[in-house]
Amino acid sequence: MWPYHPELLSTPVPRYTSFPTAAEFDDSVDSTDLEAAIAATESDVSLYIHIPFCESICWYCGCNTSRNNRADRLASYVDAIDREIALLGRLLPATARIRRIAFGGGSPNAIAATDFVRLMLSLSHSLPLSDPVISVELDPRSMDATWASALAGVGVRQASLGVQTFHPELQKAIGRTQPTQMIESCTDLLRSAGVNSINFDLMYGLPGQTLGILEDTLDRASRLGANRIALFGYAHVPDLIPRQRRIDADALPDQKARFDMAAIGHAFLLEAGYSPVGFDHFALPGDPLACAALNGRLHRNFQGFTDDEAPVLIGLGASAISSFPHLLAQNEKNSGRYQMMLSHGRLTAARGIHRSVDDQTRGRIISELLCTGRATISPMLLRQAGPRLAQFARHGLVERQESEIVLSNGALPYARTIAALFDPYRTDWSRRFSTAV
Amino acid sequence: MNDCGRCAVRESAICHSLNESELDALNALGRHQTLKRGQTMVWQGDESLLVGNVIEGVLKLSVSGADGREQTLGIMFPSDFIGRPFGPKTDHSVVALTDAQVCTFRRSAFDEFARGHPELEHSLLQRTLTELDRTRQWMLLLGRKAATARVATFLLEMSSRYATNCNDGASTAPISFDLPLSRQDIADLLGLTIETVSRQITHLREDGIIETPNRRTIVVLDSGRLQARASEV
Repeated sequence: MWPYHPELLSTPVPRYTSFPTAAEFDDSVDSTDLEAAIAATESDVSLYIHIPFCESICWYCGCNTSRNNRADRLASYVDAIDREIALLGRLLPATARIRRIAFGGGSPNAIAATDFVRLMLSLSHSLPLSDPVISVELDPRSMDATWASALAGVGVRQASLGVQTFHPELQKAIGRTQPTQMIESCTDLLRSAGVNSINFDLMYGLPGQTLGILEDTLDRASRLGANRIALFGYAHVPDLIPRQRRIDADALPDQKARFDMAAIGHAFLLEAGYSPVGFDHFALPGDPLACAALNGRLHRNFQGFTDDEAPVLIGLGASAISSFPHLLAQNEKNSGRYQMMLSHGRLTAARGIHRSVDDQTRGRIISELLCTGRATISPMLLRQAGPRLAQFARHGLVERQESEIVLSNGALPYARTIAALFDPYRTDWSRRFSTAV
Repeated sequence: MNDCGRCAVRESAICHSLNESELDALNALGRHQTLKRGQTMVWQGDESLLVGNVIEGVLKLSVSGADGREQTLGIMFPSDFIGRPFGPKTDHSVVALTDAQVCTFRRSAFDEFARGHPELEHSLLQRTLTELDRTRQWMLLLGRKAATARVATFLLEMSSRYATNCNDGASTAPISFDLPLSRQDIADLLGLTIETVSRQITHLREDGIIETPNRRTIVVLDSGRLQARASEV
């Protein structure tokens, strides 16, 4: 069982899906920077394609997505991505190799299955695809046989389902009703479509959730054969995400209860045969993600922990973020403006940050601490972090081994907080982030 | 008068599942274009994006790369459906390789009609998936360095689309078809010179894999060996 030190968890910290984090983005980056970075890319590349629509909006969700069932609006958004693909095709050198394509959202299956295949056609026509691994986030509530045949035909091998919880009352409390049977038939559809790695997104810290309810959900997920599980803590920040106001704050578990859920959830999934991947992902042995964790080849990107080793990620769609060693660039967030800018034939990057050499060094340290639990750190950075690192060392959560610092077994819930010691942007600990557990 | 009733690809086109009155309704949304060999598909004022049926002839889909060089993305035959929407603002164009006839629809109008006709919607998805498969095969073909492989793959593709005698793949009976394209057209499509194409065809004939009774006709005598040549690197 993990040791509980509430005083070390009291400060909100970033999830570090990038470094610097999106909180550091400003308007110093525009489409000219993005275009130049793309034109200089000759490495392996991963693509992320953002579909910011859902059939209905869940109350807890902090993603950039909106409810939309109007076919013409979805189609015009798809047309904009199509133009973005063509622009990218003109910029990206033919020596680059696209090895992964991830569709996320929102819910990519909010668009018509045929439009999804058309996007794949555009990608095949315009870009140097190199037998890419294709993954798709899916909403079980809008999954059907038509979409399954599209996934099979396209050759999608990895899918991620927004499950969150199997408990009917909890589902009601977060505005996401999807009976267990629906998850089961969705899983069956995906398996028969040839998807061989299915991820379930699950949550702890939900209103009214108990340890027993969480364990029941984890048990169902593992019995349904989820190859991967991401167990996230629900972050209640209604001031930032107004749709969360519909969630009853009084019913939320307190800090200690959240800690227990994370800890017991972790132990439960290991008992069920899963390998731990970073601080909140799990994968069955043999799954590429579990292998990456085992071999110290795990990485962190905007979707969480990943076995993706490409140095460049290009994001397509409104609000999508592109990542290069020296640059982070975020597309226009508003989908209307995003479409208008593309109709003028320009990429839409409007915000971001130029990564300095120092940013890159610190980014590597933060990523290594989160992904592998250890990092080599220069004497100067170690000195700067020294006093604050000492309080974690006192509790046996971290130790120095020559120029490396190494997290102990029970330190997982503190990993983000320890990583944050190397983040110079966190000097005024504002409340812009959720708690670490 | 219902044009669709006389359509040459009535039985095999994407709209084959529709009954007469449904065809009338769909036909009213479409527009026929006759293209001369070498002509590029054109658009009318409000047609931002089109999809379409190939009724007659052979067309190619191509894109102009950053370096200004044109790359062929695939070829289309009668009863094929051009499912990736194309238009004046897209980066790819549709060009007739022979005299051709197509019937085109505004993408939005076609998709909306398909939503009201599940069988057509199903066909639309299946045809788009087929187009994706063919595109991937085509990219593989262009990715192969050996001229032998490119020409052999091309002939296999042609034989699967144009063979008049039925062949289930296991049969050893010769497959015969007329090439709709000149040697020069084939060379352009495959990114080879006309001399190379002619030489490869001669090799295949001398090795007893194909027969060329005249300039146009190809007879595949040994599709197994043609397939072996197609996978040479």
